[in-house]
Order: sequence, then C-alpha cells, then structure tokens
Amino acid sequence: MKKLLTEFLLIVVLFFGTWYGLSKINWITLFKIEQASADLEQKIGDLLWKSLETSEGEITSDSLTSAINILLDHLCQKNHIDKEKIKIHVLKNGEINAFALPNNHLVIYSGLIEACENESEFCGVLSHELAHIQKGHVMNKLVKETGLSVLISMSTGNGNSTVVKKAIEQLSSTAYDRKFETEADLTAVEYMIKADIDPEALANFLYRLSGENLPEQLYWVSTHPESKQRSVKIMEAIKGRSFEKKPVIGSSKWTALQNMLKQDSD
Amino acid sequence: MPDEKFISAPAEEEAEKASNSYLMSLIAFLGGLPLPIINLIATLIFYMGNRKSTYFVKWHCTQAFFSQLMALPLNSACFWWTISILFTDEKISSNYIAYAITVIAFNVVEFIATMHTAIAVRKGRHVEWWFVGGLTNLIVKAS
Repeated sequence: MKKLLTEFLLIVVLFFGTWYGLSKINWITLFKIEQASADLEQKIGDLLWKSLETSEGEITSDSLTSAINILLDHLCQKNHIDKEKIKIHVLKNGEINAFALPNNHLVIYSGLIEACENESEFCGVLSHELAHIQKGHVMNKLVKETGLSVLISMSTGNGNSTVVKKAIEQLSSTAYDRKFETEADLTAVEYMIKADIDPEALANFLYRLSGENLPEQLYWVSTHPESKQRSVKIMEAIKGRSFEKKPVIGSSKWTALQNMLKQDSD
Repeated sequence: MPDEKFISAPAEEEAEKASNSYLMSLIAFLGGLPLPIINLIATLIFYMGNRKSTYFVKWHCTQAFFSQLMALPLNSACFWWTISILFTDEKISSNYIAYAITVIAFNVVEFIATMHTAIAVRKGRHVEWWFVGGLTNLIVKAS
C-alpha cells in the first residue's frame, strides 16, 4: 500500500511539476498569439466596415467630422486612449444607434446625434462604445456568437455576404452580456469624469429613451435592455462624487450640428 | 514481463481477449478524440463484459479501465478549459498552453504504453503498469 501511495504521489508530482515548468515559458509570445489575434481583428473589422460602408452612406462633411473629432479627441486625451487607433464613422441613418466593430471602428448613426439633447449625452454614448473597444468586448462577443472558425474563414476571404451581414447585425442590433454592458457603463462614467463631462448626462439619456413603447428606430436603447436600471446604476456610481462640468464644443455648436443633420435628412 | 502470479501461460483466446481491452481504448481514443469520456466508456463496457472471465483477462481489462480512469480528470479539465476559451470570456494563456502540452505528453506516453502492452499481452506476456498495476492487484484477486 505504501509503495502504491508513493507511486501515486510521484505521478502527481510529475504531472504538476511538468505543468508548472512549462507554464514558466511565455507561450503567448512564442506562438505569436497576440499578433495573430490582432491580425484577425484587423481583417474582420475592415471586412465588416467595408460591407457596412457600401450598404449605408457615410457622412464626410468637414464641419460634422471636425466637431465629432474634437469630442473624441478630448475624451481620448483625458483618458490616455490612443485616438489615432479609433476610426470613427458617421452614417446617414435615422436610427438611434451607435456601435463598435472590430479593429477599433466606431460607428455612429446620424439619428443618434439628433436624439442627444446636448454634447454631454453624446459623449456618454461615445464613452460607452469606447469602453467596449478598450475592454476588448467586441471581438469577445463576435467569437462567442459567430465562432472562431467562422471568423478565421471570413478573414481568409471565404466568408459569404450572409455571414458578414449576420456579424454586423450581431454587433449593431444586439446587446452585449449584462456584465459587459455594466462594465462599459461604469467605465464610460470614469472616462466622462476624467474629461470634465457631466456623467449624469448618460443616465439622463438612457432614462429619457427608456419609455415602454419604444419606436423601432431607438436601437441603442431597445438593444440595451433594462435602460432604466442602467441609468439608476450610473446615478449610484456618481453619487457623492465631485466632478467638473466643462463644455467641449459648446451648446451653440452642438445645436448647429444637429440642425445641419436635420436639414440634410429633410 | 512474465509474472509469478500467473502460474501457467494464458491460452490463445485469453491473450486475445486481454489484449483487446487495450486495443479497445486505443480505437476509442482515436475515434472519440475530442471527448475524453469515450475511451473510458469503451474500456468500461469491455471490463463489464469480461468480469466473469479468467483471471488473466479480468486483470488486464481492469488495468486498461484504470488507466483510462486516471486520464479522465486530466483530459476533462483540458477539454472544458478549451471550451471555455472558445465560448466564454476565458482568455488563452501560457498557463493553459502549458497544461494542454502536459496533458498531450501524458496521453502520448499512455498511448505508447497501451500499444506496447496490447502487443505484449497478445503474446501472452504479463505487463504491469506503474501505479495502475498495483491498484489492479489490490482490486483483482486470484480466485
């Protein structure tokens, strides 16, 4: 019996010893896994964006993009996010929606800009999507819902348009896991506080648009369930905290931006 | 490795049956590779079918079954860890790769040992594995 126990212990030690020894090697660097996943994300992101770009019109007006870029620059700079890696696109679409695609593509529908009462609300949505990008939620969701093998096949040019459309739909019209949504909300609050933007605006935006009879075009809220609870959580997170509220582009410029979009859509 | 506990050499039929218990796990291992439970079920079925067989056959069916039973927790952990990386928030890490390599190495050693044992037992030679053989001796007693 003693011999048996000794043999068993030796097997256990041999197994765990081998595992421990091998775990000291940085396999991630050795197998270039990070580089491979970055390459995959880049290919998928560009593929999805190209497909979206051809099906929906991108607004490239200088006055609009410069104003949006000022807001994004401000948020990124104050939160030490590399702004150069974020590729922001405004699409002409009446739906109230914004979403992130792989490879740091951030898509905003013109309907969302029109629905935000002030720049702070818009910055709240922007911060929320930036948080999804920064926390790596985008690829995580895509891998979970589409499958790694399908994504690899897509990146090598074997994905058909139905798969690409489905992937875009998953990222633009369905919510992330509740855990990710909460994390993105709370991170957005931090981004806003650091950028001297009122975080209450994000809670207000969610609460205002969380009516029971949501029209179909309220995508960003209807696809982000429990908006009221989320706005309450945001309010709880900022309760008792002091923060400054400084305008970035100012209310007159924001209104002018909205009017320009409204005129364009009429 | 002839053993004193088997007084006489096993008959041709006995050696074949005993050897088949190892072959069963090898075939099931190759057939149901991603699912670690398959080869265990295969050897369990063979073990149950030969419980009332001769001592030689019974002994080797038990050793084959225990060898698979030992590998089950290691392979299952590797299997579910992989699944969680593919379908949940779990990230691929050096720790995971190290575990997978260790499990693969143990499986390769076990595979070679099983193949060697199947051939040896088919020739009527008795082979006792490290630890698993001792455990089998505890369970299977000569009647």
